[in-house]
Amino acid sequence: MIRFVRPSYEFFDHTADMGVRVWAATMPELLMPAAEGLYAAIGELAAGGDESPLDFEFQGNDPSVLLRDFLTELLILFERDRRRLIAITSATLTASRLAVTAQMAAVDFERSVFHREVKAITYHELNICEVPGGYEATFIVDI
Amino acid sequence: MADNYTGPLERIDATRWRIPKSYKPGMLVDGVIYADDVLIAAIKGDKSPEQVANVACLPGIVKHSLAMPDIHWGYGFCIGGVAATDPQKGGVISPGGVGYDINCGVRLIRTNITYKDARENMGKLINELFDTVPTGVGKGGVVKFSKPELRKLMAEGSRFVVKRGFGWESDIEATEAHGCIPDAVPDSLSDRALSRGMDQCGTLGSGNHFMEVQVVERIDDAKAAGAMGLAEGNLTVMIHSGSRGLGYQVCEDALKELQDTPRKYGIDLPDKQLVCAPVESAEGKSYLGAMRAAANFAWCNRQIMTHLAREAFSIIFGLPAERLGMNLVYDVAHNIAKMETYNVDGKTCQLCVHRKGATRAFPPGHPELPERYRGIGQPVLVPGDMGRASYVLTGQPGSMEHTFGSSCHGAGRRMSRGAAIRASKGRNIKRELAERGVIARARGRTGLEEEQPDAYKDVNEVVNVLHAADISHRVARLRPVGVIKG
Repeated sequence: MIRFVRPSYEFFDHTADMGVRVWAATMPELLMPAAEGLYAAIGELAAGGDESPLDFEFQGNDPSVLLRDFLTELLILFERDRRRLIAITSATLTASRLAVTAQMAAVDFERSVFHREVKAITYHELNICEVPGGYEATFIVDI
Repeated sequence: MADNYTGPLERIDATRWRIPKSYKPGMLVDGVIYADDVLIAAIKGDKSPEQVANVACLPGIVKHSLAMPDIHWGYGFCIGGVAATDPQKGGVISPGGVGYDINCGVRLIRTNITYKDARENMGKLINELFDTVPTGVGKGGVVKFSKPELRKLMAEGSRFVVKRGFGWESDIEATEAHGCIPDAVPDSLSDRALSRGMDQCGTLGSGNHFMEVQVVERIDDAKAAGAMGLAEGNLTVMIHSGSRGLGYQVCEDALKELQDTPRKYGIDLPDKQLVCAPVESAEGKSYLGAMRAAANFAWCNRQIMTHLAREAFSIIFGLPAERLGMNLVYDVAHNIAKMETYNVDGKTCQLCVHRKGATRAFPPGHPELPERYRGIGQPVLVPGDMGRASYVLTGQPGSMEHTFGSSCHGAGRRMSRGAAIRASKGRNIKRELAERGVIARARGRTGLEEEQPDAYKDVNEVVNVLHAADISHRVARLRPVGVIKG
């Protein structure tokens, strides 16, 4: 069996918006590259210190929706509080629960390069599935 | 790129194609797409017709699930989609039929300034607009509203900001719904929605949002152009933006709240993004109240930017905006759901009309039009792309008969953002635009590449289809000469 040693993401085309596809060996390991994919859609967000831990917890019945909820929270933290996730110290993602302890940092707007505003993470074509070697998640961000 | 659509598309006439309701289980009505032979070939290149078919599954949908010729793949609804539902027959409201950017829309400001006279100042003007109007990621507005002020703003709409000096009394009459949909319920918005809106009223955003200086290149309907104050050779200003983070959050909150609602009402949906509730249900009413509040916020957003544009013009041309004749021609919403009256099979009905990337296009004589447009029909504002043209149209009787008073909202994308960036490799889009006589300023690194003219369909083809179908008629063609983007 192939193992996704290095979790990763790529963009895929969606006419007016952007698709993000993420791979990892386990479901919880999808979270970090998914966050990186979201941030990369916005631009190159430079971390600017002021680090602090933050806990996220969501309940539900669909892991892809839980992933979307987590990413939505990150988007709002970026837009409203100008903070970004820089590391995940512990993560659980099952069909019914997402729990993350993360390290957050301020975004240095002066050193950052912005590409575009992400309005939301949609439910459209949202998915997590098993693939050889691990898991694949897809989500589409509204631009 | 999206998979091709391989389902049925039957020609109805020269401008319409049908997806029969037999195509997939759950479709309650046919899908109808407006397009000519050229456009339909492009439309089949993505999954947007499948989305037209999906929308045809919404309970209470009336007549057809419609798509305008600027249709392209969206999320849930296609972009360019129109769907009317009858609340008396279990008709639903779907936040996905409005979109995240509630009351994203377009407004057009006329001027007395000729391009010939302004040409040498065009660089300075675009720089002044770029410095004056907040654009791009993280840019706050020139005014920050407290949460109680925001609630009042959303209850009163455009009038709230006009009273505070951001515009003229005449702007209100020239705005769809006078810049205020009644029965907004600002108190129903989450604290998070308010927080996201506090410093974003009067900001452009990014993506396909823009402020463009244009020259009236051609008049097709002199009477209508005269009523709108449009003269060949004169400058206009077009603003495209919506309800910013506040509106996105209203949609986000609604989608979350409505996740289990279809099950509660026994509604089977082909796409999670189409979650909905009966218009007459508590859930449906709650969303409509919040959506109306966000729509009113969007009108205030465009109103404040109108004020900023007038200030920039005054600085560059050394005259007050009134002397420059900077009157608002009209402001239209193109992401909205509204209760409107139609005649369906001989009966007068109040329907909930979803316009997801579609513009209201009421014909001459419609009682909701301002007096000065009653004889010509509602101005329909259709941005094209940064390099070619935009159009001013007027709503025609065919819109009431066939499209629930709706027309197109733009040219419609034909390339994905990724494809547009790939197509820009080795090119300098800013220079290419300059060679076409368009001065462009953008804050985002990829904004001009993603929004380059080639990324869009030819707006001429789109408006020609609707002209031929008697949905909306051409009045004036506007050529861009300067643009600012996020």
